[in-house]
Amino acid sequence: MPKSQYVDPAKAFEAGYIHFEDIPVCQYNKTLAEEKKIYTKDDFLRIYRDMAIIREFETMLNEVKVKSEYNGVQYNNPGPAHLSIGQEASAVGEAYCLDINDFSFGSHRSHGEILAKGLSSIHKLDDEELYAIMKEFLDGSVLAVVEKHMNAGGNVKELAINFLLYGALAEIFARKTGFNRGLGGSMHAFFIPFGLMPNNAIVGASAPIALGAALYKRSNGKPGIVISNCGDGATGRGPVLEALNFASMDQITKLWGMDGKYSDGGMPILFNVFNNHYGMGGQTRGETMGFDMAARLGAGFNPSQMHAERVNGYDPLAVIDAVSRKKKLLLEGKGPALLDVVTYRVSGHSPSDSSTYRTQEEINAWRDADPIVAFKKKLIKGKLATELEIELIHQQITNRMTEIMKLAINDEISPRMDLVREPDGISSIMFSNQKVVSMDPSREAEMLLPKEECPRVKEIKGKTRTAKDASGKPVSKMKMYNICDGLFEPIIDKFYDDPTLIAYGEDNRDWGGAFGVYKKMTEAVPYHRFFNSPISESAIVGSAVGYAMCGGRAIVELMYADFIGCAGDEIFNQMAKWQAMSAGILKMPITLRVSVGSKYGAQHSQDWTALCAHIPGLKVVFPATPTDAKGLMTSALDGTDPVVFFESQRIYGIGEEFRKDGVPEGHFEIPFGEPDIKREGKDVTILTIGAVLYRALDAAKILEEKYGVSAEIIDARSIVPFNYEKVIESVKKTGKILLVGDACERDSVMRDMASNITELCFDYLDGPPVVVGSRNWITPAFELEKSFFPQADWIIDALHEKIMPLPGHVPTNNFTDLEKVARAKAGL
Amino acid sequence: MATVVIMPRQGQSVESCIITALCVKVGDKVNKGDTLFSYETDKSSFDEPAPEAGTVLALLCAEGDDVPCLENVLILGNEGEDISALLKDAAPAEEAAAPAPEAKEEAKVEAAAPAAEAPRATEGVGSISPRARLLAEKTGADLLKATPTGPNGRIIERDVQALVDAGLTVSPAAKASYTEAVEGSGISGKVTLRDLEGAPAPEAVAAPVEAAAAPEYEDVKLPNIRKVIARSMHESLSTMAQLTLHTSFDATALLELRANIKENGEKLGLANITLNDMVLFAVSRVLKSHKDLNAHYLDDVMRYFNVVNLGVAVDTPRGLMVPTVFSADKLSLNELSIAAKKLIKEAQGGTISPDKLRGGSFTVTNLGSLGIESFTPVINPPQTGILGVGSITRRIKDEDGEDVSYPAMGLSLTFDHRALDGAPAAKFLKELVSALESFDLLLLK
Repeated sequence: MPKSQYVDPAKAFEAGYIHFEDIPVCQYNKTLAEEKKIYTKDDFLRIYRDMAIIREFETMLNEVKVKSEYNGVQYNNPGPAHLSIGQEASAVGEAYCLDINDFSFGSHRSHGEILAKGLSSIHKLDDEELYAIMKEFLDGSVLAVVEKHMNAGGNVKELAINFLLYGALAEIFARKTGFNRGLGGSMHAFFIPFGLMPNNAIVGASAPIALGAALYKRSNGKPGIVISNCGDGATGRGPVLEALNFASMDQITKLWGMDGKYSDGGMPILFNVFNNHYGMGGQTRGETMGFDMAARLGAGFNPSQMHAERVNGYDPLAVIDAVSRKKKLLLEGKGPALLDVVTYRVSGHSPSDSSTYRTQEEINAWRDADPIVAFKKKLIKGKLATELEIELIHQQITNRMTEIMKLAINDEISPRMDLVREPDGISSIMFSNQKVVSMDPSREAEMLLPKEECPRVKEIKGKTRTAKDASGKPVSKMKMYNICDGLFEPIIDKFYDDPTLIAYGEDNRDWGGAFGVYKKMTEAVPYHRFFNSPISESAIVGSAVGYAMCGGRAIVELMYADFIGCAGDEIFNQMAKWQAMSAGILKMPITLRVSVGSKYGAQHSQDWTALCAHIPGLKVVFPATPTDAKGLMTSALDGTDPVVFFESQRIYGIGEEFRKDGVPEGHFEIPFGEPDIKREGKDVTILTIGAVLYRALDAAKILEEKYGVSAEIIDARSIVPFNYEKVIESVKKTGKILLVGDACERDSVMRDMASNITELCFDYLDGPPVVVGSRNWITPAFELEKSFFPQADWIIDALHEKIMPLPGHVPTNNFTDLEKVARAKAGL
Repeated sequence: MATVVIMPRQGQSVESCIITALCVKVGDKVNKGDTLFSYETDKSSFDEPAPEAGTVLALLCAEGDDVPCLENVLILGNEGEDISALLKDAAPAEEAAAPAPEAKEEAKVEAAAPAAEAPRATEGVGSISPRARLLAEKTGADLLKATPTGPNGRIIERDVQALVDAGLTVSPAAKASYTEAVEGSGISGKVTLRDLEGAPAPEAVAAPVEAAAAPEYEDVKLPNIRKVIARSMHESLSTMAQLTLHTSFDATALLELRANIKENGEKLGLANITLNDMVLFAVSRVLKSHKDLNAHYLDDVMRYFNVVNLGVAVDTPRGLMVPTVFSADKLSLNELSIAAKKLIKEAQGGTISPDKLRGGSFTVTNLGSLGIESFTPVINPPQTGILGVGSITRRIKDEDGEDVSYPAMGLSLTFDHRALDGAPAAKFLKELVSALESFDLLLLK
């Protein structure tokens, strides 16, 4: 909460009414004569052609699905085909208004959106630019196919249409010559040079991602607007509603301007609902939603009602009229906006749809209203084209489509990725593994103060960078450089080094982050780079994904690791997967900070490293010392991969106990993947993950003093990636290993590592690798935590019971096999 | 006061025995000397008598269990006696185990009751960590002497280190005895559980329904001893370069001596010395000057014996056994005869100590009594030779231009060509023939 805005109780209780403006519903009523003044004959014909191309493309896919044949060409496509026959006018109308600076994010029924936006961009780019884009894309490999095998008559725009249709179809058919090397497929095809951003197979997932793209434009002063397309069914999803709210939040226009210093424009985003009346088979109006018309949603999000409007999506000119007015508003800084574009999907949700949820009568009625037929009538009526000319357009399209299909199914011209010959084909794109100090070196970073004047930087300057002073006395908490400082230093440095860096999350700004990592940073970083987000985890992470897709770098924070569940799709499906799904075209420089709680019970104390480590495409780290926090944060922020950065609330205040010279000053990197020996020993290895390091040290002390056993402690630091070499060396030496972490023991990272160590060190082991994790319970109250989280005595007992009985030791915890079997049997 | 009956250790090399029959159940009253249970090693079987009269209070093992030696089998005592303390004290007394911690006790009691479920070491040295095994291989530590201090009786690194520190190492040959010639089938020859379990019994093929009344065959699980013989014989033939030389000798002198002993032996206090005893005697003497045949072939080392430990193959109801007459070369013919007979009797009775079934340096096997003239005996590894003795047949030989008939006894020497060549083997046979044909002279030596 900013102090500048006073919450006045008198005002809060003031009597009055909330007023709503009328929301226009299908108010477009221009006559043909008026329209002819706005559009040239070429415009009319191009609109018609684009709709017809989409129709033919979708018809082809439907034929292939249903009959395994199109125009006499046989093919079997096992992949999905969520078609949009009937929705062509909506897509073409929207795209007509957009240029390549305008980014459009698709729904999961997006073939039409891709083609429409692509065709519009091809029309707007000049030949030279257009050719350069195609030539550059994936080293010209897509262009080479259409250039070699199709005759465009020397016309670059015709060539580009072939390129667009072929690139999309080859992608749908999982060919290496597709826009994303066949790794994205039907529901994820995209082509950034045309402003055609990724679509999503997860319904509604595009909304927070598109929001992030708008945030990128807004925070970096980039031209253009962002379109977030989704279906009416998707408006039931939390991430969509979160995105609508996030884009509408007051601070963008009220606080981000900082008294005229910076822009106070609204979020340049148009949420466009292609309202085809059904979410798969669920009827939104009348069954699954209560909004009556989707445009009503706008009224719930801000006083301008998101400038919401409902338009006739069967009339491309009505859509053009609405979208161009909204675009103007957005460019004037009056965003966000919302459109409810009424349309209908005549085709099934997918070819297996038997339309059990609607009548043939209904389908026929919409077929009769076919937007392409209606527009054709308009062209003829307006003497803009003859039947023959239109027939010719269709013939050309059919011929083109047949030719393109033949190319896209030809295994020699359009091969699939060969993972036998190139086994690293996918491995090499799971991570980009680059080091990029600034995502935009051409700009200076916008900051409020020179770095040395930043109050927190000054404060840290006066701190002791070790836990103990020169005489061995513990440094007082106030004077000691701690883990929060270790995290802060590389973050503030990056704010100065990378103008695209933004950081946000709940309570990040004035509060300084719930645990003080961002304390006193407000004075140095302007609002549009560092702000409090609404309590919208999906939108927080999803927007970071969109921000990164556009070329920015983001640090987002979820406060408690337990809230990962609230952003499940955004972390596991979006942040993790887009680098590889884009065949390495996209980079994902996101650092997602999550904190493992303590003292806060079952829903605020969980170490969920295993959930993140399980998902391919995420890097996962968990430092436990100020030096490691600094070094790993530096690497996370210099990198181009998505990192889930685990922190622990138990140890934020801890000082540097291991590095004699203290936490290094200046730029300091610790490469991901390298575990660190925190204590040398020879009899048993203890591999720790996170804050449990300090309890392992206690155990090591007891083992040494009481039993003469010398323990070597290795702090994993990184979980993904992880280099086992150091651990193997240690186990070769000791023959014994315990793996300790605060995560619930079942299926934890420790379990996975134990299994790998068993494989890698089998002949050197003197006993099984033993995992000491938390009980498979809910986390109880703080007072009972010692029975839940691993403690020093658990480690000793486990060693005694499972690996090497310690003479004279009397265990107090039950680590027997019988107990293990009994617990597993009970699901505990 | 109740008494715990343990599984006796029958010989140094025996780690565990299988309980073949439990003759009592809980509550049974027994007299001293009554058989409580029968058990077998891989070579012998035994009955365990009750050490005193009493009531069976608890059975800690079940039939078919492979019980480590010195582990508790059952508890005898007075009816109604409290034996909970004994149940707790499950660990053998001589083991210096860590004091049982309080928290564990409950679990142990539970474990003791249905003891059959508790996993136990099955063969050789019992469970051992991979690291301890590696160290033992490197240092030659004698795992048989190890005191396991790991969980569940596992030998861990420190136990092997203790052996090394105490100088308790062992040669590769002896080690072969505790790995029981198990050939590893795992990666890089690792011995895996599969190897220890032996070949699975062939799956019974479902017979047609109409033939159900009279099955065409029955599947009988192989007894342990059969498995050991199978393994040993197969290993012998698959790893050695064996060939057999056949000859015969004129047994006139032997038969005369035999007749003489039969007639006068008893008066002279001699044993019933058989022809086979005489052959054994001759072998024990001749072998001394043919060290390649009185030896063990140990891959990169030949072990030459300074004494002759003569293996005597015996057909027993349980299968082939080869007890050893140790230092046979030091025994007189009479002593040798007595020793061999005793061993043969024990072997046939199934009461022989496993220690007497090991350590031979050469073996003699005799199928002559069954009418076999000559055969190709199979060497008992790692020995380098085995002599087969055939039956006596009448043969004709030319004596001063006349055909003379004489009793000829067949001899077949199988030797390991890896250890020695054909000529030295033939020379041994030639010398043996000569010794047997002039047996009187041999006795005078």
